[in-house]
Amino acid sequence: MTISAYRLIDPLSPYIALKRHFALIVQMARRDVAGRYRGSFMGLFWSFVNPLLMLVIYTFVFGVVFKARWNRQETGHLAFALILFAGLNINTLFTECANRASTLIIDNTNFVKKVVFPLETLSWSVLGAALFHLLISTIALLVIELIAIGHIPWTIVIFPIVVVVFLPFVAGAIWLLASLGVFLRDIKQFIAIGTMALMFLAPIMYPMSMIPAQFRIWMYLNPLTVIALASQNVLVFGKLPVWWHLGLYALVSCLFAWAAFAWFERTKKGFADVL
Amino acid sequence: MSCEDTSIRVRGLGKRFEMYAQPADRLKQMILPKVQRLTGLHSHDYFKEFWAVHDVSFSVQRGETVGIIGRNGSGKSTLLQIICGTLHPTLGHVETNGRIAALLELGAGFNPEFTGRENVFLSGLLYGISESELRDRFQSIVEFADIGDFIDQPVKTYSSGMYVRLAFSIAAHVDADILIIDEALSVGDVIFTQKCMRYLRAFQSRGTLVFVSHDTAAVTNLCSRTIWLDGGRMMMDGPAKGVVEHYLATQHAADRAKMGESVAIPAIATRRDDSGTITAEPERSEAVDDGESSIPCDVIDPRLHALNGTAQRNLLQVFTFSPPGHARQFGAGAARITNVRLLDAHGTAHKVFAGGEVVDLVIETEALQRIEAPIVGFHVKDRLGQLLFGDNTYLTYHEHPLHVLPGQHLRVHFRFRMPILPNGDYSVDAAFAAGTQEDHTQQDWVYDALIFRATESTMRHGLVGIPMHSIEIEREGAAT
Repeated sequence: MTISAYRLIDPLSPYIALKRHFALIVQMARRDVAGRYRGSFMGLFWSFVNPLLMLVIYTFVFGVVFKARWNRQETGHLAFALILFAGLNINTLFTECANRASTLIIDNTNFVKKVVFPLETLSWSVLGAALFHLLISTIALLVIELIAIGHIPWTIVIFPIVVVVFLPFVAGAIWLLASLGVFLRDIKQFIAIGTMALMFLAPIMYPMSMIPAQFRIWMYLNPLTVIALASQNVLVFGKLPVWWHLGLYALVSCLFAWAAFAWFERTKKGFADVL
Repeated sequence: MSCEDTSIRVRGLGKRFEMYAQPADRLKQMILPKVQRLTGLHSHDYFKEFWAVHDVSFSVQRGETVGIIGRNGSGKSTLLQIICGTLHPTLGHVETNGRIAALLELGAGFNPEFTGRENVFLSGLLYGISESELRDRFQSIVEFADIGDFIDQPVKTYSSGMYVRLAFSIAAHVDADILIIDEALSVGDVIFTQKCMRYLRAFQSRGTLVFVSHDTAAVTNLCSRTIWLDGGRMMMDGPAKGVVEHYLATQHAADRAKMGESVAIPAIATRRDDSGTITAEPERSEAVDDGESSIPCDVIDPRLHALNGTAQRNLLQVFTFSPPGHARQFGAGAARITNVRLLDAHGTAHKVFAGGEVVDLVIETEALQRIEAPIVGFHVKDRLGQLLFGDNTYLTYHEHPLHVLPGQHLRVHFRFRMPILPNGDYSVDAAFAAGTQEDHTQQDWVYDALIFRATESTMRHGLVGIPMHSIEIEREGAAT
């Protein structure tokens, strides 16, 4: 099979890859989701139970033990856990993808050496599987919210926009880390530390207002900050996201995806020689 | 040649592997030399280079079947990977026309965690077949692979045979224009290999086949043309039989050279084409005609009439021994084969024999040096160079080996019942070796020492026919 090269100069090239191999990406992502729980007794049900159990643990540890309060308005143990959950879901999506990325090519050596495989689609299919898990977690969150608080804010309809803005960044991170992972096996260790740092240095476990004013601006350099804040706003607080933040993020996210895709395409010729 | 009819065109292909002490050096190599050049600093390479394929050029026409032979590490697999597009060439370029299906080494690009079923869909999508189309073909793919319930097990649990079955079955169902097969069939069992060969023979009529195997008999059997690679370079490109013969002779010479013996390989008649590749001359056996000049006068033909009258008239017309010097031969040269003749049971030479008759194959040799434990043998091959049968003196004499002194002659008789042969040209290779069955040096090997043509055969299937003592039908039971 011949795969014509992408015009890397085109900023849309990452999405052309998505469109061109959509059937393949869906197949891979579906297999990925199904494969994770294959052979387990409860199967896909774990996807739903996991986040619920996490939520219970958060509620106990942060709400009951630490008696943490997000701010003066938000009281109740569960409210804190829900806010935490809204931010952590975003972090989980990113961490899952980043961890898989470092060994993505090495784990699929067959696709590199034995067939002409559009390796760039692996990024999209990993993201697809992670998105599915985000969807399940979000549903779990909304169910708890409905039971505990009694209503769901209408702003949840904006949540898909928040996620879509986030996706190019994550896809780009996968391309970059996957490519580097082939040449630098150490990247795996770095990712473990890096994702941990990003989680603690984003307003996920504490509100932005707790950050000393002079550091606050630096928090926005963390790629998770804008998305986590927006996620908390639309899913729990019932507030609109800061639109210009999201707009700027979308722009940077797309530029990053483009650059990472171009990097991946340039370096992938060398994969077969290394593996 | 027009582009329309060319399936694969390879021009000046070279593949350099850069061998790095550690993977990070590779990343440095991708970035640092460019930076150093920009800044005017002297750049240095972080790798040792190894050329797996060097200056290879050829084209394959649509419908052609090309074999690629060579020792391990001669660049065969690298070349195929470049043609398939999984490796990128360092130099030169490859053009291919049409959909390529490839079976590289063991199995295709399966994901070991996926089940067979999932891999079928995955591979199919990679070949550009739509999902609905795949659902239609799925049953047929599973039937061809014949791996039973394993289709729903992860591929990592498969035996190598099952792996190849599934891979081959998929490749056979994707409407490929070009099929590339690398050593894949060697792990299948006999029944599956037969099935694959049947498929490949049918495929040959509509597509281009590139076939790599260490099984030189399979190569001569399947391929019209063969390319021989050695050390990443093209040694020969020509009709399969000639290339394989020369390859084997060279192998033998190289083998013995390691043990300090020299085996001369007189140059095959070759010519260089404009691209500099050596092309073997067309097969000599094809050039044989019925000209009287090639038949010596001591051959008499008293029985042609009688045979024509019988039912079993598988005529074997014998052409003569090619005099030394004209024949293609190789060997260390301590002895030479002076004559090869086919006689009847009474020792009379004939121009025509009948299949099923007892014949006496006589090989006459002359020793040029003292030789301990000589072995004289022969091969009978069909027009494709496929070995039909052969034998040698080793087992009969190994308890009490003869020795032969310079100037002495050995005349060896092989008396056997000639099988009935399908129509076509056959050749007899004669060989004189010294040593044992397992470890010997060819002193003189003459290709196509004797050529004969089978005509008027009623045999249509198989390689050789066995003379039947009798054929009977017994009918039992009363009619109702």
